[in-house]
Amino acid sequence: MTMNGARNAGETLLEIRHLEKRFGGVKAVADVTMDLRAGIVTTLVGPNGAGKTTLFNLITGHLPRSGGSVRWLGRDIGGLKPYQIARLGIARTFQDLRLFSEMTVEENILTVMEPNALPFRLSGPPLKERRARAGHVLERTGLADKRAVRAMDLAYAERKFLSLARIMATDARLWLLDEPASGLDPHSYELFLALLREEVSAGVTVCIIEHNLDIVIGISDRIAFLDHGRLLADDDPKTVLEDPALAAIYFGDRS
Amino acid sequence: MEAYLLNLGVLISLYAILAVTLNFIMGYAGIYSLAHAVFFGTGAYAGASVALNFSASIFVMVPTAMLCAAALSLLLALPALRVRGEYFVAASLGLQVLAVTVFAEWKAVTGGIGGLIGIPPVDIAGFEIYSPGSFFILSLVTLAAVVAITRLLVRSSFGRSLKAIRDSESAALAFGKNIALIKTTSVVISAALAAIAGSLYAAYMSFINVESFMLDTSVLIMAMVIIGGTGTQLGPIVGAALLLILPGALSYLSFLPQTEIGSIQQILYGLGMAVLMIFRPGGIVGRGRAETGEGEA
Ligand SMILES: Nc1ncnc2c1ncn2[C@@H]1O[C@H](COP(=O)(O)OP(=O)(O)OP(=O)(O)O)[C@@H](O)[C@H]1O
Ligand SMILES: [Mg+2]
Repeated sequence: MTMNGARNAGETLLEIRHLEKRFGGVKAVADVTMDLRAGIVTTLVGPNGAGKTTLFNLITGHLPRSGGSVRWLGRDIGGLKPYQIARLGIARTFQDLRLFSEMTVEENILTVMEPNALPFRLSGPPLKERRARAGHVLERTGLADKRAVRAMDLAYAERKFLSLARIMATDARLWLLDEPASGLDPHSYELFLALLREEVSAGVTVCIIEHNLDIVIGISDRIAFLDHGRLLADDDPKTVLEDPALAAIYFGDRS
Repeated sequence: MEAYLLNLGVLISLYAILAVTLNFIMGYAGIYSLAHAVFFGTGAYAGASVALNFSASIFVMVPTAMLCAAALSLLLALPALRVRGEYFVAASLGLQVLAVTVFAEWKAVTGGIGGLIGIPPVDIAGFEIYSPGSFFILSLVTLAAVVAITRLLVRSSFGRSLKAIRDSESAALAFGKNIALIKTTSVVISAALAAIAGSLYAAYMSFINVESFMLDTSVLIMAMVIIGGTGTQLGPIVGAALLLILPGALSYLSFLPQTEIGSIQQILYGLGMAVLMIFRPGGIVGRGRAETGEGEA
């Protein structure tokens, strides 16, 4: 199945209302209102500095918001700490990856399954199961023979896949992916798309920041267009991509 | 000579416990503490008080010492770890300065400047351990146990959480890690284990006073960790041995003016540390890594 088109949107997972973030005088995110619905792949596009990453940081609690609200399954999550929001089932990647660079590839995966704060296990699957799951994820992302390598010693594409593997190992329902495919060679890029498709059909809801229009067209059910912090469009891909005004902003800024 | 070596062996073992437990938070959680001598001292005073007033049994003395240090460390960690890591160094320095005053002034418990004297030897199931030989074995066994415990922790899910936080706090948060709680737990464990060394030290010396638990001791322990190799298993032990053997070894070099030995020692420490940090930033045992991980944005 493709990710485009014909699927029905499920319940609303995330409701963003009038969200705002000011850095000094600059409004990095200004009055953004949008929904992320279960099963839908939303692509967030917009020129550099449009506020895409900032929007993710507001959702995950990595930055405090200046105004507006974010609801997860109807519950206001604005006051929660990032680790609490993560535990609700919202996972993310970082534009600059932020791998656990001195840990091995396998440790990077194991540790995301181990949010315990105590030196002994209170809940969650035993180590053997975690290992098996990590092995499975590493197999799928092509990192199986790198499991004992430190993350910092990986090649560029491998790091991108480790970043993806980390969130594949969580049980999160919503994935926020910050430019996961940027700089990938064509082969890696195909593997990435295939993985994403599998995960989406397995029930994961994805919001992805992406600059490459081929990728945007290839995966989006919806496109949200951000510029100077404002949400200029949030619609089906065809409508957004064919809007000449948006194209002017997008390509104008990038030249 | 034998007595000298056994005494040195005991001190190396006890300081190695301190270095290993400091390394547990420095090397794996990225928490730099200048208050480790406070937990050493708390363990010593608590252990000594229990031994003097109640029981010299190791099974009473050591747990009491651990509990006291753990409670005190909570007072430091709870407020200090809510804010960013850098503040912990300052907060720990504050605690160190404060604790020295308390150790020196709280006469009822610490004996004031004069300290506590006549601390009985430690008792294990009816056997008093007071000969240097048997105490050396006890301190070695304790060191081995502490190394085993920290090793187990570092390799467990808890250790992975610590390392994840060290490598990227924001990513650790994004994967559900309660950073403040995890860091606090690591500081409490580190302090409690350091207190074991403290209580054994008190029983071994039979006399303690504030001079053993001042800022220079905290700095010395940190130097042991850094010189030996932060974040390595063996490094802190090597560092402890080196820094305790060096003063004695220097005094054997008869061409050095013996009256100036103290200053020569300081100069050598300073030079050695500077040279080491330039050529082997990972310490003696650590791998010499020029590259570092990607920084936090
Ligand atoms: N922590 C911060 N402090 C101050 N200003 C910030 C901060 N983070 C982002 N900004 C500013 O907010 C604006 C939006 O930045 P953001 O990183 O969200 O853009 P983006 O859409 O992700 O861009 P890119 O495509 O380059 O990643 C920019 O002007 C940026 O300089
Ligand atoms: Mg960005």
